[in-house]
Amino acid sequence: MKLDAQRTYDESEVVDAVVIGTGAGGAPILAKLALQGLKVVALEAGPNFEPDEYTQDEVEAVKINWMDERLSGGETPTAFGQNNSGKGVGGSTLHWGAFTPRPDERDLKLKTLTGKGEDWPVDHAELIGYIEEVENFVGVSGPADYPWDPQRSYLMPPPARNASSDMMIRGCEALGIRATDAPAALVSRDWRQEHVGTRPACVGCGSCHQGCRSGAKVSMDTSYLPMAVANGAEIRPESMVTGIELDEAGEVSAVVYVRDGVEHRQRTAALFLCAGGVETPRLLLHAGIANSSDQVGRNFMAHGATQVWGTFDTEMRGYRGYPSSIITEDTMRPDGVDFAGGYLIQSLGAMPLTLATTLARGAGLWGPELVKALDDYRFMAGVGINAECLPSEQNRLTLSDELDENGMPKVVVTFTPGENEKAIDEHAVATMTAIVEAAGGRDIRVLARTAHTIGTCRMGTDPATAVVDPDGRSFDVPNLWIADNSVFPSAVVANPALTIMALGLRTADRFLASAGLSGAVAGERVGADVSRVVDAA
Amino acid sequence: MTSDTTTTRPTLFCLHALGMSRLEYGPVADALGDAFEVVALDLPGFGDATTADGVTVDDMVRQVTRQIRRHGATRWLLVGHSMGGKIASIVAARTLAGQGGLFGLAGVVLLAASPPSPEPMDDENREQMIAAAVDGPLDADTRRAFVDDNVGAPLPTALDDQALADLHRTSPEAWTAWFDRGSREDWSAEVGTLDLPALVVAGGADGPLGEEAQRRLNGAVYPRATHLTLDGAGHLLPLERPTEVAEAITSFWRDDAGRAPVMSDDFARVIASSRTASNTRGILAKRAVADDPRYAPQVLTEAQLATLRAVAARVVPQDDPDHAVDLAARVDAQLAAGQGDGWRNADLPSDPEAYALGLDALADFTDLTPEQRDERLAAIVAGDPDDTLETVGDSGGGDSHHGGDQGDAGLTGGTSDDTARPSDAEAHPFSVEQLTAWFEDCRVDLVKAWLAHPATMERIGFDGFANGRAGRALQGFSRLGAGQREGWEPAMEVTR
Repeated sequence: MKLDAQRTYDESEVVDAVVIGTGAGGAPILAKLALQGLKVVALEAGPNFEPDEYTQDEVEAVKINWMDERLSGGETPTAFGQNNSGKGVGGSTLHWGAFTPRPDERDLKLKTLTGKGEDWPVDHAELIGYIEEVENFVGVSGPADYPWDPQRSYLMPPPARNASSDMMIRGCEALGIRATDAPAALVSRDWRQEHVGTRPACVGCGSCHQGCRSGAKVSMDTSYLPMAVANGAEIRPESMVTGIELDEAGEVSAVVYVRDGVEHRQRTAALFLCAGGVETPRLLLHAGIANSSDQVGRNFMAHGATQVWGTFDTEMRGYRGYPSSIITEDTMRPDGVDFAGGYLIQSLGAMPLTLATTLARGAGLWGPELVKALDDYRFMAGVGINAECLPSEQNRLTLSDELDENGMPKVVVTFTPGENEKAIDEHAVATMTAIVEAAGGRDIRVLARTAHTIGTCRMGTDPATAVVDPDGRSFDVPNLWIADNSVFPSAVVANPALTIMALGLRTADRFLASAGLSGAVAGERVGADVSRVVDAA
Repeated sequence: MTSDTTTTRPTLFCLHALGMSRLEYGPVADALGDAFEVVALDLPGFGDATTADGVTVDDMVRQVTRQIRRHGATRWLLVGHSMGGKIASIVAARTLAGQGGLFGLAGVVLLAASPPSPEPMDDENREQMIAAAVDGPLDADTRRAFVDDNVGAPLPTALDDQALADLHRTSPEAWTAWFDRGSREDWSAEVGTLDLPALVVAGGADGPLGEEAQRRLNGAVYPRATHLTLDGAGHLLPLERPTEVAEAITSFWRDDAGRAPVMSDDFARVIASSRTASNTRGILAKRAVADDPRYAPQVLTEAQLATLRAVAARVVPQDDPDHAVDLAARVDAQLAAGQGDGWRNADLPSDPEAYALGLDALADFTDLTPEQRDERLAAIVAGDPDDTLETVGDSGGGDSHHGGDQGDAGLTGGTSDDTARPSDAEAHPFSVEQLTAWFEDCRVDLVKAWLAHPATMERIGFDGFANGRAGRALQGFSRLGAGQREGWEPAMEVTR
């Protein structure tokens, strides 16, 4: 994105806030604070990209992913790299799939309703209010009628269905499962984005995960960040934060970061930590702050993301079009099961390398069997889940004794699915297999995987068991706020990015209210009445 | 579609020397026979080519690029003689960068070539040559002296006459532009190093562009170059030694440049077309060139590389060993570049260490029969300690978990003498679980290296990279249903 004309701040100046990370959590905060006239600086570890720098080539497209090495342990070591965090101005929204179901109310009250997991200290209706604000600002496309939430509406029609979509619809219909077009954070019509211009309608190129080169897919660098910069925020790319300094009162006074191999220090009155479920706890553990609860790094969660693929008689070539255009939420609370929570199912498009990695790793294929599976690639179509994951003591992020190039310890993330996760997965595999078979698929392949990095800095009401309070504010360091997936007390079935954006806006409002800025401006909707579908009535 | 997808013989785009024309490649073309399509071009101001579109190096590069693009070749070599060599190197650099709408460059052949950097030239000679064209076309004495000064021995009469005639019709502007500017221009920064198959031929009796200059100047540009010196030859190699030049090109193609996996013409043309963004085209262009048959491992030892090649052949069997991707070499290069996948199993050491340990544990792999190799890999995947570690033989010994077990069927032994075994840590720095975890990474790396090749993309029916440039120029798919196909798409016939 364009940063050459942005306002800049001196490092010695005490800015109103520093935001670490420019992804789904940090970008809305930056925009909202800048809109209130605050002096804000964002520090982003990755580079600033222009859309023509992205490549569809899967090997080289990893430049938008967080590829710094993480160590992964436990029974099912989480695959990081391409599968998870992003790196670049825009964070993970550069590579995300833009699949945007909304969080289910029951998921926020999991403990109350099931006795398992945790409740969110966040009111569902309030969260949905923020989600609608996000959807209306960034542009989300979806079906006219959403079977699981009749009140819901979307501004634009859903993206076009591809062969995988037709397959999933066919299979679900045969089984009596309701399925429909998925909400997708992309513009299916030309869309006027304030401070950006026109984001052209999605053309179905299929390369969402390699970076959207037209701006149709929602990404922070084509939505909230340009608004932030237009209102006086400064974004510093390639700035890796390595330390946080506290003053005598125990409040954050400055942030230390490395840019071009040189250490810098930005003074600030407040700090927003929005670096995601791995880098956020890593920085806190490294800095040794905000952890009187000893909860930083604990309760790492990863969504179950198992896929079931079938081979069909005709060429499916699921790399064409928006990759995950069909959803069912019928499986959010299946009947007759003894697990807590549930899962959603989506249709899948997969790039060959991504699928091959899962075939070789998750399915253990090699030799002629692997080559045969890849020769089948064009005939394959599948469905996948996003499944609840309960917080667990044994799943934890800690610092290793290996240092990275900046002298920061690499993390070790240990993850082993519990009984609840295994029970959900078993149920989901049976359901997905039935769908794919009912649609005419054979040679069923089940590919185990997980997705997203959640937990590690949980939000709660008790300072003894949580890192941040229900506003997102550190119990220990009063001017430190966290807004990303690390604060999630439980995983929530819905894919996290939309919820993170909403939490970002909410955290910004809570911050503004705490600073006495709540009067005329706080709570005002970012971008209200400025973004719209071009040619809409 | 079949007529469009047949793979044709390689094309040689031949660029002549100063003062010559496309005709100088006639004898080489005759000696090459039918194995190659020889397309010799007249550079601007030489032969039949006018000077209308300019005579600078940049003009020549653009005109050559346009002619190659119009020709539509999908599997080709650039051949550059003297001045034409500089043009060839610049065109090659742009092609590998994805520019110019070109794709399919398999290698470069340089004949007494001028380098991308300023050509070594005597100032007095330069002034004389510029002076010779001040008043118009070169006179007879200049033409005669030029040929005589540039050959190791007199040419056959017909070729001598041809060279003199080409000199006679050389445009004075083009002649002067080369001496005054082109030969002095420094393109080395734009060209950089070109890591692709290259054949660099020198004349043993040549002057400033002889063997020493070729090794020093062009050798620095082409790290993979095969150097050849033709004893007694001067500077006009295609005219002086057409048979030897043709033989060198033939074996260069057979042993080096021609060994990449082959894709169909229509698939290659989609990569060359505007459907493919230039940065992506550049990535695919570099990946499509043949691997270095003399690849020297950068991280692994030669023995470990040999083991990895044997493992790769079982993990990702390729149909045609003469046109295969050297997966093991590409994994070694990836390790050398420090390109991890963003994480590693916490039980494993760093990627290079893990590869070294894993491959050392498989040190006897190349001694096994194909069936035994597969059993061994299956045992590693299964995490079966009996089969994974007990076959290391003298260099490794056995495995303390199962010290008393008999050797299993299909194994090569090495389990016979418990007392002679080194300690477990020395013999097997890797546990069974670590070996299993490493092999998971290993097979992902190998299959990734295979799939990344555009020929593999065609094989599996993937043209999803071809979706245009950024912004409004992005081109998506609109016919998305099962069995549907768009008009621009290559056939990508099913091979299974």
